[in-house]
Amino acid sequence: MNHEPEDLLREVDLCSLEAGEQVRMKQRVQSSGSTQALRIFYLSRWERCLFVSALSLVAALLMLLSSADGCSGDGCSEMKRRQPGILTGMPFMAHVSSRAFVDDVGHRIYLAKPPARVVSLAPSITEMLFAIGLDEQIVGVTEFCDYPAEAKSKAKVGYSNPSAEALIALRPELVLAPRDFLRSDLQAKLDQLKIPLFVLDAQTVEDILLQIHTLGKMFEKVSAANEVTQRMRQRIAEIRRKVETPPPRRVLYVLNSQPLISVGPGSFIHQMIGLAGGLNIAAQAGVAYPKLSMEVVLKDDPEVLIFPSGVVETVPRSEQQQWRRWDTLSAVKQQRFREVSSNLLNRPGPRVIEALEELARAIHPEMFDFGEGAVHP
Amino acid sequence: MGILAFTAMAVCVICLHFGAQPIAYGEILRVFIDAISRKEIDGGTSDVVDVILLQVRLPRILLGFLVGCSLASVGVALQALLRNPLADPYVLGVSSGAALGAAVGVLLGAGTTFLAETTLPVCGFAGGLLALVIVYRMAASYEQLPIHSLLLTGVILNAIFSALIMFITSILEPNRSYGMMAWLMGTLTAPTYGGLVGLAVYLSIGLVLLFVQMRALNVLALGEEVARTLGVDTERAKRSIFILAALVTGAVVSVSGMIGFIGMVVPHAVRLVTGADHRLLLPASALVGGTFLMGSDTIARTMISPAEIPVGIITALAGGPFFVYLLLWRKDRLA
Repeated sequence: MNHEPEDLLREVDLCSLEAGEQVRMKQRVQSSGSTQALRIFYLSRWERCLFVSALSLVAALLMLLSSADGCSGDGCSEMKRRQPGILTGMPFMAHVSSRAFVDDVGHRIYLAKPPARVVSLAPSITEMLFAIGLDEQIVGVTEFCDYPAEAKSKAKVGYSNPSAEALIALRPELVLAPRDFLRSDLQAKLDQLKIPLFVLDAQTVEDILLQIHTLGKMFEKVSAANEVTQRMRQRIAEIRRKVETPPPRRVLYVLNSQPLISVGPGSFIHQMIGLAGGLNIAAQAGVAYPKLSMEVVLKDDPEVLIFPSGVVETVPRSEQQQWRRWDTLSAVKQQRFREVSSNLLNRPGPRVIEALEELARAIHPEMFDFGEGAVHP
Repeated sequence: MGILAFTAMAVCVICLHFGAQPIAYGEILRVFIDAISRKEIDGGTSDVVDVILLQVRLPRILLGFLVGCSLASVGVALQALLRNPLADPYVLGVSSGAALGAAVGVLLGAGTTFLAETTLPVCGFAGGLLALVIVYRMAASYEQLPIHSLLLTGVILNAIFSALIMFITSILEPNRSYGMMAWLMGTLTAPTYGGLVGLAVYLSIGLVLLFVQMRALNVLALGEEVARTLGVDTERAKRSIFILAALVTGAVVSVSGMIGFIGMVVPHAVRLVTGADHRLLLPASALVGGTFLMGSDTIARTMISPAEIPVGIITALAGGPFFVYLLLWRKDRLA
């Protein structure tokens, strides 16, 4: 590693110090009523002494800091990064063994044996772990992990800002975390304590299947994992078969009604709408959660309005009813206001299939058992 | 004044043209003639262009005009009252006070929407008044508050109120708080005509009462001592202007969130042309403020179409640099 940043920093520091001195001088000169511009840069001998000694002190400090950095940084941190696995001292193992795993941010870990104690930092991950039968290995979950019921009795470590202390106190052999909300200081702390961290970041349903498979290998539960993924694939195929026949319907997902916020490309829900046989009318928006223009909605004329429902995220019925005002919309004319459980839809876990089915039912009710679809809210 | 009114009309028509999908001027004319012949502006048509123009774009533009008018007028009044050209509901923390009031209203379940509700403007009014009283107490205890102290008061009030607002958003459900954040950044949405008329009546009562105070403002701008010797009941005038400013700000914030800097920049720009006579300054600022917000909102609507950005960002980007310019290079005008 080169030392350019430190050098730069030192220069900047000196400059700012100099500037500070100058400003102070300037103020003093001005307040004494002097008008000679040149006096701004004048320093008395005493002040010059002070200035020089302050400069040398700062320089010495910086040198000390940078040298300390040189010995503790570089090589050491490189070493740390190479051996986050359980078998410390065998860094090469991470590259050759079949028990090496690469997570969704490209970080590689090595696990000599299936971890006996694992902490999950997302409800979706908790559901995956339970799905492949790891009830006993799970020692910690987030406060939002409410499925299956057993998850509620596990120790809680927080969610968007998990407590590092609570986490470490659980003595995990592996921490599974989502990419969102993962804080770099927690990451560094785990790295320092040599607790392996594995990041899961599902963008598509296919990613979820892959993750379950990886977890199966990691915990030597391959057959259970295969069973889960196979069942999921089957149900996806069933749903796809049903929604592929009719022409796709234009869909507006109303994440928030006032102001209107929808889901765009890059969000998990956008991808789910496509899978469920819908055309997201916010697909043209360049961001994942766009504040969508009502004019575009009127022009693109959605045939189905989907509102998230559930405990946490709900567009209240009264706000849904306000959409009746836009009576040129096909969705309003045909009374296609649907609610889909946001808890299922926002969790890229094994139950995402249920969300997909709910979504497909909402968009193409006539393709599912007759009668049931018609009374769907 | 005639020229300003005409400009406002012209800008309104230009804003009608631009949108997620531009509508030709001929088409706009046709839609309006249709609507007049139908004698119905709200509904009664299945043409998408009609609906976009008459039920989305027009009400939103009118709302923008109303909000801009109100913010600029309140800015003029506060600047005269505090004898301070940097006074503005946003800078002084009145807007965030009103936003806090409205947020508390939402928290207590006063309304599920931010629009067309009677409770939220009242909550906003209470919060705005609280902020104004604090600012005024500060100003009064120093006779004429030095500019930096006044700004600092605003900064501190803003900090306290936004901390409380953040507290409220953090305990709301994620979905609600997301919506609230979007609203706080300053957002105009298409209101129903009923809501629009209600707001217009409310705001015009406030503004007319404010306009009645124009003479008092002229005298107050000279200083309270002078005003008192000239026979103005200063206490009463001040009190009524404060209450009106809080009323108008509260209502505006509860429908459109925190749209900043209009109340400061517009009166300044207008004063350069009309001079400091409030009989001219106040109505002229109102017109220019309305026009400015209509234009800003059109940019906000179209810049990253089909998505939109909060209009508060546009006004802050236009107003912020102007504020810095005033602070750095026009110190003489601020003294």
